[in-house]
Amino acid sequence: MALLAIQDLTIALPPGADRPLAAEEVSLEVSPKEIVCIVGESGSGKSLTAHAVMGLLPGRVAATAGSILFDGTDLLREPPDVLRRRRGRDIAMIFQDPMAALNPVLTIGSQVTEQIRAHEDISEAAALKRAADLLAEMGLKDVATLLKAYPHQLSGGQRQRVMIAIALSLGPRLLIADEPTTALDVTTQAQILKLIRRLQAEREMSVLFITHDFGVVADMADKVVVMRHGRVVESGTTSRVLGEPAHSYTRALIAAVPKGDRYLPVPADSAPLVAVKNLTKRFRRGGVFSRAPQVTAVDGVSLTLRRGETLGVVGESGSGKSTLARCVIRLLDPDGGEVRLEEADIAHMKEKSLRPLRRRIQMVFQDPFSSLNPRETVADILIAGPKSFGEDVQEAKARASEMLRLVGLNPQTMHRFPHEFSGGQRQRIGLARALMLKPDVLIADEPVSALDVTVQAQVLKLLDEVRQQMNLAMLFITHDMRVAAEVCHRVMVMRQGKVVEEGLTRDIFTAPASDYTRALLAAIPGHGAL
Amino acid sequence: MRFAARFFSRPTSLFGFVVFAVIVVIALAAPLLFAHGPMAIVGMPLLPPGSPGLAAGSDVIGRDMAAGLAYGARISLLIGIASTCCSVGIGVLLGAVAGYYGGLVDDLLMQITEFFQIIPSFMLAMVLVAFLQPSLSSTVIGITLITWPQVARVVRGQFLSLRSREFVEAARVLGMSDARIIFTQVLPNALPPIVVVSSMMVGYAILTESALSFLGLGDPDLLSWGTMIGSSRVAMWVAWWTTVLPGVCIMVTVLALNFIGDGLNDALNPRRGR
Repeated sequence: MALLAIQDLTIALPPGADRPLAAEEVSLEVSPKEIVCIVGESGSGKSLTAHAVMGLLPGRVAATAGSILFDGTDLLREPPDVLRRRRGRDIAMIFQDPMAALNPVLTIGSQVTEQIRAHEDISEAAALKRAADLLAEMGLKDVATLLKAYPHQLSGGQRQRVMIAIALSLGPRLLIADEPTTALDVTTQAQILKLIRRLQAEREMSVLFITHDFGVVADMADKVVVMRHGRVVESGTTSRVLGEPAHSYTRALIAAVPKGDRYLPVPADSAPLVAVKNLTKRFRRGGVFSRAPQVTAVDGVSLTLRRGETLGVVGESGSGKSTLARCVIRLLDPDGGEVRLEEADIAHMKEKSLRPLRRRIQMVFQDPFSSLNPRETVADILIAGPKSFGEDVQEAKARASEMLRLVGLNPQTMHRFPHEFSGGQRQRIGLARALMLKPDVLIADEPVSALDVTVQAQVLKLLDEVRQQMNLAMLFITHDMRVAAEVCHRVMVMRQGKVVEEGLTRDIFTAPASDYTRALLAAIPGHGAL
Repeated sequence: MRFAARFFSRPTSLFGFVVFAVIVVIALAAPLLFAHGPMAIVGMPLLPPGSPGLAAGSDVIGRDMAAGLAYGARISLLIGIASTCCSVGIGVLLGAVAGYYGGLVDDLLMQITEFFQIIPSFMLAMVLVAFLQPSLSSTVIGITLITWPQVARVVRGQFLSLRSREFVEAARVLGMSDARIIFTQVLPNALPPIVVVSSMMVGYAILTESALSFLGLGDPDLLSWGTMIGSSRVAMWVAWWTTVLPGVCIMVTVLALNFIGDGLNDALNPRRGR
C-alpha cells in the first residue's frame, strides 16, 4: 500500500490570481522506501501540491476537493492540532533557501534541539547529544563547534545539511524536499543529492522531491510525476518517462535540457577585439576606514575575445566571474591590469572619455525582474541608450521596433510596461536594449539562470542567432556547464578569482586538464543519463 | 486609475481628502467670503458663536473669528506647503547624492544630516526665527531647516537599495550621465515613500508654525491659527471659542493630512506579488 496517496487534489487560488486553480485533480502515490520526483516549470503547481501535504498552504489558498491519504488517514480532514503533531514526526520538509529557513539569531544547536524537544520530553543534554549525532550522520565535521555556530557562519551546503538534520530529527517516514538544491553550487548540489539518497536508503524513508531539473530527476527518482499548469501530464517510472516519454510536453522538457554534447565549430582566427591582461579587482570588506582584509575577487585574469565568438566564463558562486564581467564593461573599476578594446585601454579610463566607447560594449543582465526599470515603458527603455548618445528619438523608435522584431517580440507591445511581460520576454527586451546601440561586444551575465528550462533553450538560441547575425563578440558568464557547452566556442573555468583552465569547449568537456573542471563536470546532475 | 481606486477605497483617506479639499477651498475663497479681512474690528469683543453676522463669534478685540479662521487657513497651508517643498527639495537632492554615490560623499552628507538631527529641532527653529526677525519667510526657513534631514534619510535609504538594481547598471552601460540616471531612473522608483513623508510633513509644518506663532514668533502682520490661540489665551476661561476653534482647525487639518499620508502609503505600496 502507498504511504502517501494524493487523489484528485484540487487547490484553489484566491480571486484575482492568474488562474483559478493551482492544482487540478492531481493524483500521485509515494510507496514506502521510494523517491518520487514532481517535475515541472514555474507555475506548474508542483510546490503548492507538496505544501498541501504538509498543511502549509499560504493564506487564501485552499484545497477544495480530493484527498491526501497518509498511511490511510486523510490529512485534509484531520484537525489542525493533530496535523501539527504529525509535522516533523511523520512528515518532514526541507526548502530551497536554507538561510531563510534558519533563524539567524539562534545557534545551530538550539535550532536542532528545539524540534526534538517540541515533540519529545527529554532533557537538554540528551537533546544536544541527539543533535550532535544527527549532524554527524549528515556528514558534517567538527560537530561540537557547529552546534555553537550561527547560521551566517555556515556555507550554503552546511546550512542545507543542518536543515535536513532538523527535518530528520524525529525519524519521519516521509521527507518532502522542495527544490532543496536549487540555490546551491553544482558540486554542493551533487553532495546534497547523494546525502539525501544515502539517508533515504539507510532510514528506509519515502521522499517526495520537487524539482525543475530533469538532471536531478535522472539522479534521484524511482518514479516521476510531470506537472504543467496544475495538472499531471505524465507519470511513471524514471527509466520509462526519461526513456520513452509519452506526452509531448515531457518530450519538450527533456529536449530543452542542455545536454552539453553539441559543440559549436571553432571560429576562424582573427585579431582579438577585446584583450584583457592581468586584470585584478580587490574588494574591501566594510567601510572606507575598515581594517578588514581585502578580498581579491579577480586575480590576474587574462582573456581574448574575437568577433563572432562566444567565450564562456564558468565558475561557482564566489569564483569572480561576475566581477570580471563588471570590470570589463567598467561597472566596476579594476585595481590592476588592462582591458583593451582594440587599441584603447579602458580599464583605467576616466568616465568622461569612456562614455563614447560605452556603446561598443553592452550587457544582458541576470534578473529579468530588476534589470528593467518598472516605471518606464518598453519604448522608453529601448530608446534610452540612443537618447543618451544624442540620437534622434524618432529614428531610435523605428530601430526599437526593428530590434523587438529581431528578438521575437511584437513591436506593438512597445508602449507596455515591463510587468506585463513574462520572464523570458523580459530577457528578450533586455537583449533588445543592449542591441539598440549596435555594440561590438555583448556581455551576458547569467542571462538564462532565472528562466524555466524551455524558455532558457529559446533565449540561448536567440542569443546565438543574434551573435551570428550582428557578428558580436560575446562574453557569456554562467554557473551551468551544460549551458556553456550549448553556446560557447571557448570556455574559461574560474575558481576563487583565478583561471583554472581555458580552451575550446570540446576540449574542456571531453578532456579536462584540471581536477576542478573534472569535478564540475562530474557534478552535473543527470550526468550521462539524459 | 487603479491607484485612485486603491486610495479612495480606504474610508479614512477619503475623509482626509474631502476635509483637506474643503479647507483649501475655504482658504482660497477667504477674500470673497470675508471682504472686511481678518484684522478689521467688526463688533463687541468676545461675542459667542452664532451672534448676528458672526458665525464663529468675535475675539478679544472684536475681530470676526470666522474671517480669522478662513484667512488663518491661507497662512497655515502656505507655510505648510512652502516649507515642505523646500525641505523635500533639499532632502531629495542631498539624500539622492549620498545614496547614489555612497562612500565618502555619503559619510560626509550623513554627518551633516545627523548634526541637524541631534539638535532639539523646535529650539533650533525658534532661535532661527527670532534671529532672522519673525516673518513668513523666516518661519519657512526655520521649518525647512528642521525637517529636511528626515527627507534626506528616507531618500538616501531608497537610493542605496535601488542603485544596485540591474536597471541602474544597465543605464550606466548605456552611457547615461549620473544626473540623468538619478533623476530619470532612480528617483521615479523612490517616489512613493517621498510622497508619503511629504504629506505627513505638511501637517508637521502647520503644527510647528502654530507653535511658533503661539509664542509670538509668527509674522506680526499676518493672522494664523497659532497667532489666534496665542493672542486669545487670556480669554480661554471666559470665551472658549477663541482658542478652541482655531485649535480644532489645526487638529482637523493635520489629521486629514495624516490620513492622506496613510492612504498614499497603502495605495503606493500594494503588497505586490510577482
